[in-house]
Amino acid sequence: MAIVPLQAAFRGDFVVLLVPVNDEDTMEIVAQKVAYHVIHRRLPPQDAPMRVRYTDRVLPTDQTVAQAGLSPMSFVEVFYDA
Amino acid sequence: MPKLERSQWYDLCRDMNWRFKYVTEGEVFPEALSQSHGIPAAAWWTWDEPYKISYREYVHNQAEKDASVYSVRSAIARSRTFENLDPGWKAAIIAHYGAIAMPEYLATIGEARMGRFGRAAAWRNMALYGTLDEARHGQIQFSFSHDLLKKEPRFDWAHKAFHTNEWGVIAIRHFFDDIFTSNDAVSTAIQLTFTVETGFTNLQFLGMAADAMETGDVVFGALISSIQTDEARHAQQGEPTLRLLIQHGKKAEAQRLIDVAFWGSWRIFALLSGLAMDYYTPLAHRSMSFKEFMLEWIVKQFIDQWRDLGLERPWYWDLFMQELDWLHHALHLGIWFWRPTVWWNPDAGMSAAEREWLEAKYPGWHDRFGTYWQTIAENVRQGKIGLTYPETLPVVCNICQIPECSPTIGAPPRLVTHNGRVFTFCSDPCKWIFEQDPARYAGHLSIVDRFVAGHIQPPNLPGALAYMGLSPVEQGTDAMNYAWAFEQPQSAATPVS
Repeated sequence: MAIVPLQAAFRGDFVVLLVPVNDEDTMEIVAQKVAYHVIHRRLPPQDAPMRVRYTDRVLPTDQTVAQAGLSPMSFVEVFYDA
Repeated sequence: MPKLERSQWYDLCRDMNWRFKYVTEGEVFPEALSQSHGIPAAAWWTWDEPYKISYREYVHNQAEKDASVYSVRSAIARSRTFENLDPGWKAAIIAHYGAIAMPEYLATIGEARMGRFGRAAAWRNMALYGTLDEARHGQIQFSFSHDLLKKEPRFDWAHKAFHTNEWGVIAIRHFFDDIFTSNDAVSTAIQLTFTVETGFTNLQFLGMAADAMETGDVVFGALISSIQTDEARHAQQGEPTLRLLIQHGKKAEAQRLIDVAFWGSWRIFALLSGLAMDYYTPLAHRSMSFKEFMLEWIVKQFIDQWRDLGLERPWYWDLFMQELDWLHHALHLGIWFWRPTVWWNPDAGMSAAEREWLEAKYPGWHDRFGTYWQTIAENVRQGKIGLTYPETLPVVCNICQIPECSPTIGAPPRLVTHNGRVFTFCSDPCKWIFEQDPARYAGHLSIVDRFVAGHIQPPNLPGALAYMGLSPVEQGTDAMNYAWAFEQPQSAATPVS
């Protein structure tokens, strides 16, 4: 297991964050790790699933960081799929 | 014996230019330090400053300026003026001293380089005064901030800041290293004296002086007004240098140098002047909004000067105009949220009246920024202060070194892979600046790069704060002790303005 520092933004937030994740984390976990720094802090929660977008693709929730090909400082956007 | 008029002797005394016989032009003026742009030596000798002054006059004027400012300082010294200042204004001047005092001192390096490697004696003469000016600006600001140490220990950051790796200091140092401490003479004249000093320092030194007088900080107002009179003189090294470049077919290069420095200046002054004017200055004493200052001093007056010289607006002009409406508001929110990472106490500036003012000056402010502050205020009221603090770092741009604030307003970060390393940029102009000269910038590690590379231990926020030189008592906290959050009941459904 290796730590992968990502550049991450939660849609609707105002700033890009440094969020360390593990290469075995699924996108569901990645979304939670990014949301931890944003939801309830600057944005209210929504009753909707969260998704992770990388380049022009929305990644499957069960796909891992390694499987998605994310490398250190890759940029991902997390959003509520409402 | 009758005295000669200055105009009768000035040029003769000033123009110590000569052709070299025993050494080459390149040995006396190495291109790396001087940068002739291929313009012949004799052409440089036509360089002529618009404001003429002899050394005797210079010393006389400077002595009078110092006497005036120091007399204000003496008169105020025993009063309780500082204690009675608004906490937000105190934040503005503590931030100012840390960000500006040492760079003034460092500017002696850029001025002295022009004083030695400028291609015309007239220019070297003027740069000598500029060197002395900047030494004065460093010393006078160290001295005045030292007066306030016993009242607020963080005035120590006037001297300390530039000896740390605090993120804002890295940003300012990166920009100033680029345009004057590590720059050739011609580029310094264009990027420092023309772009920064003719344009942007007016914001911090004239705009802030007006706010200081309104706020009752007479000493600070007198101090920075006095500094600005020097800036206005030595800033005039830029224009004759630009004229020469344009006359000799180097307009494109002059424009490129200005475009680089203008963007960097915009970033730094949005961070410094933008927050001070629109959030830290007490509402009743705000003379103009930051945007109004920008429109008057930069968009109108400064750009008129460009046109007079035959220069164009920067290629990123539309983006710049859009950012006037949001960039410094985003930076303010970020600095408040990451307040332990700065050496002053940020004033949220979120009272109902202040929010109304922001919405009036920046229509749409509430829709863009109100929700964030509403969530923060609710957390404060519910005692969830932990949720108003960060637990990770923001990503910072590899050129301006400022947090990348763009997801909802602009585009995602621009990523560039250079020699196997991924660089991240907040905007197209920052990416463009990097691509102009990657070798100049690629060796620098941002605070985030250092974190990722393991230079910061332990690898967490406390470790980063220690790395930045911020002990717990130096870390910023809310200037008003969160009173603004309790000013009136707010619910999630109630707009903050």
